Amino acid sequence: MQLYSPLSSPPKRKAVRAPALASIEGARIGILENGKLNAEEMLNEVAKLFVQRHGCKVRTLASKSNASAPAPAKTLATVAQEVDFLITGLGD
Amino acid sequence: MSALSPRIHEVPDDLLAAIDYCYEQGWTDGLPVVPPVVHRVKAMLASDKRPAETLIAKHAATGLELSLHSAAVNAVMAGCLPEYFPVLVAAFEAMNKEDFNFHGSAASTGGSAPLLVVSGPYGDEIGMNCDVNLFGSGNRPNATIGRAVRLILRNVFQMLPGISDKSTQGNPGKYSFCIAERARGNPWPLLCEAQGYAAGVSSVTVFAAGGFCNVENHGGNTPEQILASVADAMANYGCITLGQSVVILAPEHMRVLDDAGWTREHVQNFLFRHAKRPVEGMKVVGKFRDREYRAQHGEGAHALAEKGFMHRGLTPDDVLITMGGGDAGGHSCFIPSWSRGRASIMQHCAIRTSK
Repeated sequence: MQLYSPLSSPPKRKAVRAPALASIEGARIGILENGKLNAEEMLNEVAKLFVQRHGCKVRTLASKSNASAPAPAKTLATVAQEVDFLITGLGD
Repeated sequence: MSALSPRIHEVPDDLLAAIDYCYEQGWTDGLPVVPPVVHRVKAMLASDKRPAETLIAKHAATGLELSLHSAAVNAVMAGCLPEYFPVLVAAFEAMNKEDFNFHGSAASTGGSAPLLVVSGPYGDEIGMNCDVNLFGSGNRPNATIGRAVRLILRNVFQMLPGISDKSTQGNPGKYSFCIAERARGNPWPLLCEAQGYAAGVSSVTVFAAGGFCNVENHGGNTPEQILASVADAMANYGCITLGQSVVILAPEHMRVLDDAGWTREHVQNFLFRHAKRPVEGMKVVGKFRDREYRAQHGEGAHALAEKGFMHRGLTPDDVLITMGGGDAGGHSCFIPSWSRGRASIMQHCAIRTSK
């Protein structure tokens, strides 16, 4: 008996990791919050630690209108021009 | 189009052993599947004129793609007949629309299941149930089309419980959640007509649905009484969000509305206006959020949004409402949207038949 596999072919991904920053001392931080309860509060607390410990500067707070969808490309492109690294994560 | 040929598994000519083989491969939803033998898959594919490699949906987060071929394999496994296949294909074409947010609704702790509502003559043609025991068991197309959706989410898109499907509790609709709209005795335009499809064209509407909430009212004899029960279910503190709603009215309840001359729009307005909770109450239960209130009451707010209250949804159009179920019984239902807000917007698509 011959059965077809119900699985799909693995996707061809072209994603690559960004190179690590040489240093985070004095770096510009962006925050991308997802709109969930407490997301902004939690991410601001995390950013505060970078400010205190590494002299980082918070430059941008961006928001997603849909927590479970990818950030719009325009949002990421804008933020990328303004910061050295971005902090994001889930709220709740 | 996928460049890869579909993979074949050689198994002994023993049906029960083949069923066990499918279990061993992790291809099932927990229930036995029909082994996807080649000739059945080809018969399934014959109900769509396009090439088997045609892609009908893509999972944005992983890049995994659904071809007609893969859909047909899973449809066979679910127990579908070839004439059910156009409904399944249309459902995924609808779910593939960006605003459905296919990934989020399948992965989230919210535990939604895609509810399919088939509208128009095609449901009758393939023997779907729109009548007694609407959401229950016993009807092959309802059961197997909904089941095929789940198998595709599992096998093609790899939404695996506990790994990529992080539903906190899930809901029973994750086995199958598929109904037909009842045309017999329905005084309103069918959904497919309201959606603007040409006469004779059927549609399927997909909705990232939370669990099922029965709305019992055997004593109400006016539209206001019946609909106050529905609105209260829609706005209970567990369910109330900015999300959309599906309401399936029992024929008994529909007769009360129709006798009073209420249209679908009239009912939608009533439900939006009354499915609400006071801001203070929302604060008491810890569910009030400024940005949600602003979304409902800010610039462009709907005229029926009452200050000081959170309503369910953003506008009356957020309530999909029609009729289904058996003639006897004052049992309608409300089905909430997935999760808290506007993360998934229901979509619809024409059912492409070979006729």
